[in-house]
Amino acid sequence: MTENSQHSRPLLQVRALTCEREERLLFRDLDFSLDAGQVLQVKGGNGSGKTTLLRIICGLNDGYQGELYWQGNALTEHWDDFHAGLLYIGHRVAVNHVLTPLENLRWSCRLHDPAADDDICGALAEMGLAGYEDSPCYSLSAGQQQRVSLARLLLSSARLWILDEPFTTLDIDGVALLEHLVARRAQDGGAVLITTHHKLDLPRLRTLTLGVAQ
Amino acid sequence: MIRASVGAAFRATLKRDLLISVKRRNDILNPFMFFIIVVTLFPIGISPESAMLRQLAAGVVWISVLLASMLAMDSLYRSDYEDGSLEQLLLSSQPLYLLVFAKNIAHWLVSGLPVILVSPLLAYMLSLPADGYLTLVASLLLGTPVVGMLGSIAVALTVGLGSRGLILAVITVPMSVPVLIFGTLAVQNSLAGGSPLGYLALLGAMLAAAVSLAPVATAAALRITLN
Amino acid sequence: MAGRWQWFHRLGSPKWFYEKTTRWLPWLIGVMALLLAVGIVWALLFLPPDYQQGHTSRILVVHVAVAGASLSFFPLMAVAGTVTLVWRIKLADMVAKNAAPLGAWFTFLTLATGSIWGSVSWGTWWEWTDSRLVSMLFQFFLLLGVISLRTAIESAETAARACALLSIVGCINVVIIKYSVAWWNTLHQPPSPISMEVGSPNGPEFWVATAIMIVGVYLFLAVSLILATRNEILERENKAQWVRELALRSR
Repeated sequence: MTENSQHSRPLLQVRALTCEREERLLFRDLDFSLDAGQVLQVKGGNGSGKTTLLRIICGLNDGYQGELYWQGNALTEHWDDFHAGLLYIGHRVAVNHVLTPLENLRWSCRLHDPAADDDICGALAEMGLAGYEDSPCYSLSAGQQQRVSLARLLLSSARLWILDEPFTTLDIDGVALLEHLVARRAQDGGAVLITTHHKLDLPRLRTLTLGVAQ
Repeated sequence: MIRASVGAAFRATLKRDLLISVKRRNDILNPFMFFIIVVTLFPIGISPESAMLRQLAAGVVWISVLLASMLAMDSLYRSDYEDGSLEQLLLSSQPLYLLVFAKNIAHWLVSGLPVILVSPLLAYMLSLPADGYLTLVASLLLGTPVVGMLGSIAVALTVGLGSRGLILAVITVPMSVPVLIFGTLAVQNSLAGGSPLGYLALLGAMLAAAVSLAPVATAAALRITLN
Repeated sequence: MAGRWQWFHRLGSPKWFYEKTTRWLPWLIGVMALLLAVGIVWALLFLPPDYQQGHTSRILVVHVAVAGASLSFFPLMAVAGTVTLVWRIKLADMVAKNAAPLGAWFTFLTLATGSIWGSVSWGTWWEWTDSRLVSMLFQFFLLLGVISLRTAIESAETAARACALLSIVGCINVVIIKYSVAWWNTLHQPPSPISMEVGSPNGPEFWVATAIMIVGVYLFLAVSLILATRNEILERENKAQWVRELALRSR
């Protein structure tokens, strides 16, 4: 193994991924890879298996056949490494309603990369939530809660982001901000896997459309 | 890459769950009040005679504690499932069973401990003889975490289901039977002048077994049900 | 290595199971019917009445056999559950799914025959001091828990694995419950004359009848489980080629 093979290997590789759910075929023999610096947008109609695909890659769903590789290693053998380098934001944004944004982020950062309170407040301010640090999250709007969750993107050093419909509740400014964050992550050598119906305006954007071949 | 340490994630989870319960208040108050109310029903339903109550006291307190912890279980994992925090817990690079264990401890501190603290008062109202108090509290301290951790498995298996009340009861009640048996036997034995240490040791053994096995089973159950 | 695992996976193939059992079933049913008939006729007609219990001792022949069989359900489900969780073999889950209601039914029969016997021998239909019946009752509850968990979870795959885990946990618990209830009883009162031991007054003819009945009931269990599993296979594999061919042939 040469020294630079570590770098030439794709960050994430998916081979012959087939998923059948409740006797219905969602996708078959899916092959794709994601290199550092790339953004992959997963498209497809309702029920085409976008969320399932993301959950399979995250390791939340194991009802699949096929192989997954993280930096060249079989994912199933290296979950801890993979999870240390992964940030997933799903439909449900993992924001507890009775806690404040600060308390929420303190906990979710502890699970991944520890962050100081100042950094968290800075991230919240960047997400446009300055002044809301100590208000309970039930008093925030859905879009603001989404922003609390997205503040984790600023605090994370994860190389791979997996974002499931992150734009749904955001306003125009929020959308622009998130697009900017995604582009910046790609520039910094990370990779982003994202599902959205939104038209993304990003350089080096690749798309994967589910539910066409069948 | 700097990784969060296991200990920090454990403490953060414990702290977060305690904070949520303190803010929600009902998590603490509901089982506590429920326990007191259930205990007061026994003298009214059975007999106000202190001679009769004395014999029943240990069992009444133990059964009421079991019912209260059954009620408390419902709040375990529910909001975490609904808001997606449980997914984040599964995706942490820290061992899931340790994080689950932290949640179990927090849940016990909030729903189990207050009930145990008030139990001597209610035992007094049921005319439990003085010899029994220490054993009662000790048996509850050892036994209720076992029930809580067994319940945690059942809750994890039913997380996300709409109506799970009966399923929870049908699963956890039989599993709690050994704890109930040794808990009440310990008290009765010390009332009869014997040493309760044997039974307490058995409860301790159950606690040790539960601590080492139940979080692993809960973690497996969560991975299955969140699939 | 490959050879060793081949049989294992063949064993897990629903088609293989279906075809094999088609051949075995007539034999199993024949032997079962013979043993049950001999056992029941012997117990009802030829067994001398017990000098203490009179004719009620006859029901013990059935009770002992059914009770023995119902004890095997949780270990069976735990093994099937382990296979489901570790190797993802569907057949194991099909067996486990049908074992739970069957086990509940056997456990219920044990409780019913036990209390019928008790109503004459002890003068009461239910006796808490008999630890075996009490722990059977809790096994019954746990089996109901497994069944209701299965029906509550919509996704068949998730339900299979959740029930597998619960069966393993339940199996450990049934053992603990059994011993702790037994202990609880011996401490609550000294060893009582009330005992289900098929004890000394019973001669060898009683034992032989019971042994025949036990084998017969185990075969009944196996046959019921196989039949239920075969139905399950046809239902779940209804899109498979071989099931369609089977359906065409039988028409």
